[in-house]
Amino acid sequence: MDKTKKLDGKTILSKIFGEYSYVLSFVVLCILGRVFNGKFFTWNNITNLFVQGSMIGIIAMGMTMVICAGLIDISVGSQVAFIGGLGILVLNATGSVIVMLLFCIACGCILGMINGLLVTKGGMPPMVATLAMMSACRAVINYYGAGGPFTVRKDLFDSFRQIAVGNIVIGSIKIPYLMIIFIVFVIIFDIVMKKTAFGKHVLAVGSNEKSARLSGINVDLVKIMTYVITGAMCGIASLMYASRMTAVASASAAMSWEMDAIAGVAIGGTSMTGGRGKIAGTFLGVLMFKIINNILTAANISSYLNGAISAAIIVIAVLIQNFQNRKQA
Amino acid sequence: MHLEMKNIVMDFGRQVRAVDDVTLTVDSGEIVGLLGENGAGKSTMMNVLAGVYSPTSGEIFIDGEKVVMKDVRTADRHGIRFIHQELNLCNDLRVYENMFLGNEIKKSSVFLNKTEMLDKCNEVFRRMNVDINPETVVGELSAANKQLVEIGKALLFKSELIIMDEPSTALATHEIENLFNIMRQLKTEGVSFIYISHKMPELFEICDVYYVMRDGKLIGHGLFKDINEEQITEMMIGHHLEDKEFANHEYNATDKVVLKADHISGGVLEDLSFELHEGEILAVTGLQGSGKDDLADILFGVISHSGKLEINGKEMPHKASVSSVKRYLRTGTSMVPRMRKERGIHNDLSVQDNLSMGYLNTRFDKLFINAKEENERFERQRAALSIKVGNKKNVITSLSGGNQQKVILGKWLESDAKILLFDNPTQGIDVGTKFEIYHLILNLAKQGKAIIVFSAEFPEIFKVADSCIVLYHGKESIRLDRDNLTEKNVMYYSTGSNLEGIANG
Repeated sequence: MDKTKKLDGKTILSKIFGEYSYVLSFVVLCILGRVFNGKFFTWNNITNLFVQGSMIGIIAMGMTMVICAGLIDISVGSQVAFIGGLGILVLNATGSVIVMLLFCIACGCILGMINGLLVTKGGMPPMVATLAMMSACRAVINYYGAGGPFTVRKDLFDSFRQIAVGNIVIGSIKIPYLMIIFIVFVIIFDIVMKKTAFGKHVLAVGSNEKSARLSGINVDLVKIMTYVITGAMCGIASLMYASRMTAVASASAAMSWEMDAIAGVAIGGTSMTGGRGKIAGTFLGVLMFKIINNILTAANISSYLNGAISAAIIVIAVLIQNFQNRKQA
Repeated sequence: MHLEMKNIVMDFGRQVRAVDDVTLTVDSGEIVGLLGENGAGKSTMMNVLAGVYSPTSGEIFIDGEKVVMKDVRTADRHGIRFIHQELNLCNDLRVYENMFLGNEIKKSSVFLNKTEMLDKCNEVFRRMNVDINPETVVGELSAANKQLVEIGKALLFKSELIIMDEPSTALATHEIENLFNIMRQLKTEGVSFIYISHKMPELFEICDVYYVMRDGKLIGHGLFKDINEEQITEMMIGHHLEDKEFANHEYNATDKVVLKADHISGGVLEDLSFELHEGEILAVTGLQGSGKDDLADILFGVISHSGKLEINGKEMPHKASVSSVKRYLRTGTSMVPRMRKERGIHNDLSVQDNLSMGYLNTRFDKLFINAKEENERFERQRAALSIKVGNKKNVITSLSGGNQQKVILGKWLESDAKILLFDNPTQGIDVGTKFEIYHLILNLAKQGKAIIVFSAEFPEIFKVADSCIVLYHGKESIRLDRDNLTEKNVMYYSTGSNLEGIANG
């Protein structure tokens, strides 16, 4: 039915600078990447980017939903440390990765559920509720681990590590498992947000809660579900993390991941006040962060500066969006 | 002051010319009525005057001297006050803090002088003859009182020209009368007004001069005493509108009862009983705080009620919860809510997504949304309701108020509702679209839908209703059948004159 859509140069240009400004930033970063790192476009480097981005990436998928619903979750980093630590205990006790996976997902769902209930039934501001969750998770896992790491049992070490370092080999190309997991979740989330009633309800709640309620949407349930889904993502990410590191250091694991995830969402063009968001945007947003790392390493810039340069990217990306919004208004 | 806006042109981007060569003059002590449908360019014109936009071309003269309205402060300095349609109040601050925001009175130029500010506020409210405590937090005030605070704010400082953009939408009749008295008094003091409104009787009552705009152009101007309502409506919409087409009212009600309220109470509403039949159009009216709003919310499960409410023979749960609206939807009840902007639309979502929302929440039981069916539903309603929309993927706020309202109506028609509640359905909608919506309501009744219209506007009620319940202070004052449905009766019973034996105001 959209056959009348005309794509003259001007609309394409305005779309690139506006709605899809994150694509533009992505392309610019890729070019910069190539300039500083001659091996940037090698398959090895590309899969590396995906693997490095995979854990924060799948959490950022959940975070996109949370933010689209007009909420925020700053407890994700601590959730990963908490679930990862306990997950390793479960793995060591049972020796089964499947049991560990189920435990991690269930544990994440419960943490997310608590977040959701505090926000909806308890009427707490999302920032405060998840701040409490963030402190609590980190403190409890620190207590159990006495500040030290949870380590995978020696005899399970090699097989468990395969999740993070293993590949599917098709002909001459190797695709890491983590990359596949990441991409599969991106596709699932994109479909859920675009093609299911739940996805539309998330946006409706974030856009106008009153109208959503008067449209018969169970607003509380939608909000709780976004937290539960994010929790589940944290659970899966914590297993990936545990496999990659074969240990979870209770005090420092997944430190400030919430910031990276939120930043990925922000760069990807999702409205921080809810109602508008794009999974594809978040996907590129997360990759952009990893590309910046890549460039800094290749250009021999101290990795201590990572934070400052990431900050600059976020500020520029969001400023472009704001500028565009103002022009529309 | 003598104001002249000369040959004002205002372009937005390259394509949109919102105001096209309009000249407007206001004399000292004159009340100018600015008319036009939504999107005619009235607000843009006023924003140019208030220094919000700088015009593409054209000049503004005050007392013969050219003035460049650089910003809002320039307009302020010349005594021009703009009372916006959207209330610009901070809900968390107190009334007096809001009124003096940015112009606080200070002691020794540092500390706030609360006593003096309170005194000045009280003085203004006395002059306006309204009873508002300046120390109340604004968020606790009713919409009507917020509007009065806005007006009070304009009166607090020396004003030479006050622009009012639909000030009466939230006000009850006696409050409007009060406002007009204040305006008349200020007029004798030489203050001028530009008054924007969709309500004809008001304009004819208070304004001296009319300016009619359409599609950004000035269509005509002159004295209100030289023109009648019909002529001015014709100028606004560009063709003739027959009011008489509503004169022969058709009754479509059958014997089948679809909704039965048995001594229901809730909110301020007390002990109301009535029955609604298939094909019937029932109106409910009353002043602010009469329980009209609460009744609408009860019938849709938004607030709790006591007593017995049966819809399609099923008794409805008393308690409102997060899922109760859905229960009501499942029985086939739908509501076009009042205050479209706050309660009706999702402004971040596209036109199509807004329309889909009703179907997706009621009848949709699959996992994935089918884009083709979605499209069909949209096109069906677009055709049936003649919704004017450019690209359905654009956000809903790109549409005019009337078209937004049609989208919300379409959303419920797709949910296959049998009972439709229209809560103040034509708020902020231009005349032409208003009439379209009345026709839609009548047609829906003809198709067998049971309809309740909640409205405070008599002409609206008269055009559609089979009968009308008048509420006063939460109780039924009277139920008027069509033969007794006159403006005078509605006024008489909605002010409770019958119950208290006193004439109000």
